[in-house]
Amino acid sequence: MQRKQLAPGVFLTALDAEKFNRCRIAIHLRYPAVRQSATDAAVLSMVLERGYAGCPDMTQLSRRLAALYGADLGVDLMTAGGDRVLSADICGIKQKFALADEDLVASYADIVFGTVFEPYLVGGSFDPEAVRIEKETLRRRLQSEYNDKRLYCVRQARRRFYGDSPAGIELYGYLNDIDAVTPQSVKAEYDRILSQASIDVIVQGADAEPVAQRLLAKLASVRRAPAGVTALSPVPAAPVRHYTEEIAGLTQAKLCMLFTRDKSGELPSIHVLRMAMGVFGGTATSRLFRNVREKQSLCYYCGSSALRAAGVMMVDSGVETANIEKAESAILKELSDLCARPVDEEELEQCRRTLLEGIDSVGDSLAGLAGWYYGQIMRGEPLTAPEEGKAEMCAVTPRQVQEILQSYSYSVCYALTGRGEEADA
Amino acid sequence: MSTIREKAAAAVRCRKAVLESGLTVLCRTMPGYSTVHAMYGTAFGSTTREFVLDGKKITLPAGTAHFLEHKMFESEEGDAFSLYAKTGASANAFTSWDRTCYIFSATSRIDENLDILLNMVGKPWFTRETIAKEQGIIGQEIKMYDDSPDWRLLTGLFRCLYPTDPIRDDIAGTVESIAELTPELLYACTDAFYCPDNMVLAVAGNIELEQAVEACRRAGLDKPVTPHTVQLPELSPEGPIVQHELNFTMPLNRPYFALGYREQPIPRGEVKRELICDMLSSLVCSGLTDLYRKLYDQALVNPEFGGDYVLTRSACAIAFTGESSCPREVAQMVRDEIARLRREGVDPELFTLVKNQMYGELLTVLEGVEDAAGQMAVAFLKGVDLEEQIATLASLTVDDANEALQTMLLPENEAYVEITPQ
Repeated sequence: MQRKQLAPGVFLTALDAEKFNRCRIAIHLRYPAVRQSATDAAVLSMVLERGYAGCPDMTQLSRRLAALYGADLGVDLMTAGGDRVLSADICGIKQKFALADEDLVASYADIVFGTVFEPYLVGGSFDPEAVRIEKETLRRRLQSEYNDKRLYCVRQARRRFYGDSPAGIELYGYLNDIDAVTPQSVKAEYDRILSQASIDVIVQGADAEPVAQRLLAKLASVRRAPAGVTALSPVPAAPVRHYTEEIAGLTQAKLCMLFTRDKSGELPSIHVLRMAMGVFGGTATSRLFRNVREKQSLCYYCGSSALRAAGVMMVDSGVETANIEKAESAILKELSDLCARPVDEEELEQCRRTLLEGIDSVGDSLAGLAGWYYGQIMRGEPLTAPEEGKAEMCAVTPRQVQEILQSYSYSVCYALTGRGEEADA
Repeated sequence: MSTIREKAAAAVRCRKAVLESGLTVLCRTMPGYSTVHAMYGTAFGSTTREFVLDGKKITLPAGTAHFLEHKMFESEEGDAFSLYAKTGASANAFTSWDRTCYIFSATSRIDENLDILLNMVGKPWFTRETIAKEQGIIGQEIKMYDDSPDWRLLTGLFRCLYPTDPIRDDIAGTVESIAELTPELLYACTDAFYCPDNMVLAVAGNIELEQAVEACRRAGLDKPVTPHTVQLPELSPEGPIVQHELNFTMPLNRPYFALGYREQPIPRGEVKRELICDMLSSLVCSGLTDLYRKLYDQALVNPEFGGDYVLTRSACAIAFTGESSCPREVAQMVRDEIARLRREGVDPELFTLVKNQMYGELLTVLEGVEDAAGQMAVAFLKGVDLEEQIATLASLTVDDANEALQTMLLPENEAYVEITPQ
């Protein structure tokens, strides 16, 4: 497996997929996030998924995918520190399972490349009707956030935490910006992304050479100026801010606690960070699971996670309104205990075993394997097989786990409770 | 047809052993995979609320099967999570309306993990104290689902469609119902339903059938057992739907709605009818249909709008659910489309596309170790196998769908539920 450079900022990685029933082609375009055009990018991803020049009609495209035995086409956005990634991927059954011997792989490539590089344009801009419809879909999608109270609580906390930092630019844009989105502004964002993006194509279970040729042909007429990875400054440490939003009719309170890693210099090792999260609140053997959920019965879910590039650690939990302060204290106590003394070897080994098993199983799904390598690409690391990741995980020490947890400071606490209106506390 | 069967057999590659105890072991060996996923399941879910055990009638409060699932992780020596922590396996369990399943995924120490799984489920241990402790955690879980509009919508729909069937009660029960549980009731459930001939062990990935069977032997599951006598209530026809509409409020910013249809229960093992059930909602309003396109382009539904079906021993329902500013308008458009399909018949091209899509989905399921083990176990508990599912799917014709539409999705068997923003 090798990440081959085809042109400046254009790469292709081919991965073995012998054991799978399906094959997959994914195109990732990583570009610098811009607050002003975030909503255009969100609409763009939705318009691209509707169809392309070779098959502009959304229903016809769905039917074409169904005819290819339910091939799955997805276009989505992802956060990568101060950058965003626009991805299109197609996954479908391998040729040998075709009931009528159709050329499935060529069709998959046509669709996914068409989706990214041959958008359906009307007079040089995106189809006004498609843009109008997807603006409304985006509006409903953004409004729907409120209906999932766990997600809503996390996002509200993040908004308070990030403020104006590029890491906090909303992946799916802003409600207030939707009206200003036009076919022309979406096209401008498309052109910007195509020009500035670092492009990675990952091919699994299909011949990479024709894909590489196709990629170069598509880019031949594009003026490219690939941007580097956007540098991020961590959110500065400051006294903790508490927010409470009260919602009539909410049955279970939600609690989201965010911590900043206000350190300049090199980012922490992903393996140390994963181990720290595993010990603190990311596994069924973690302190939060064993002590806050199981022993104290304070909540049904209580877990931690971290974003390396953005320097943020999060704990989210569902608790009784009356127990919010108790749960917050219990979570902070677990963190404080882990910061005060290194975790003992047995506890660390339990966590390590779980994480090593996780790495072992990476190769058992197309998406898992592609995610492993694209994760390394996004972190700017050389591509190494999961086996090497295991070796690095094995080298993590209790002291490293303690140090990384010590590097976070409590920043924002957002609670949704069952009564009244929003108020800063 | 033989080609389809051959392709199905090649894709499924499932081996099976039935032990003397009555336990069925299914194995899909997946060359090149590192992970083993195991699912140990019993045909005991939330809708089993009454049975006769060795001549004694047992009545269960709502949420018993789910509560039992939580308690199975505890033994006198400690909890199974701490045992799995020593092997590194990732373990979990779930309860649905008609089954409870215990699972683990691991890439090493497979024998040890199988021993933990089989012993934890095979040696139940309940005390009043541990039951009381679990009531706190499950109470939190129940409250979490109380805030989920999707879940509330479904339970509301079942309350309308089923005046008496236990599917109308939440899988986890209520804080009050689980307070009624005692060790005696839980032991009665394990005696009745956690016996080998009511269970299946399905494994997939880097494992051979012999390894799984050997683990069963170590757990004493190879020997004949003297089973308890268990009688489930006779299936009696559900009375007429008395509540065709339900409205309630939640803190939302747009209405949620469900249009549901009560269908005849499907006898165990009837693959064709279940596939038709699965297919009908796609023929009515999947992304392949003109109706979906109209609803989407007019901003009447979100991409999540769609139909699905639920099947238990005594119930079968098809539901169309979504979020919309004009829920009644959407529901009426769905009703109109069903009536049109019944009148004019299904477009044969659309039928073939839906069939192709389902074929691809079945192959996709077999590609992942979790899905493969899960699908094998679920199919077995329903009395079918995956090969037969694929072959039966291939044999379905548009006439089958048209015939089904004459007796299914009927207005008299319909209920509508709407959650209005508070």
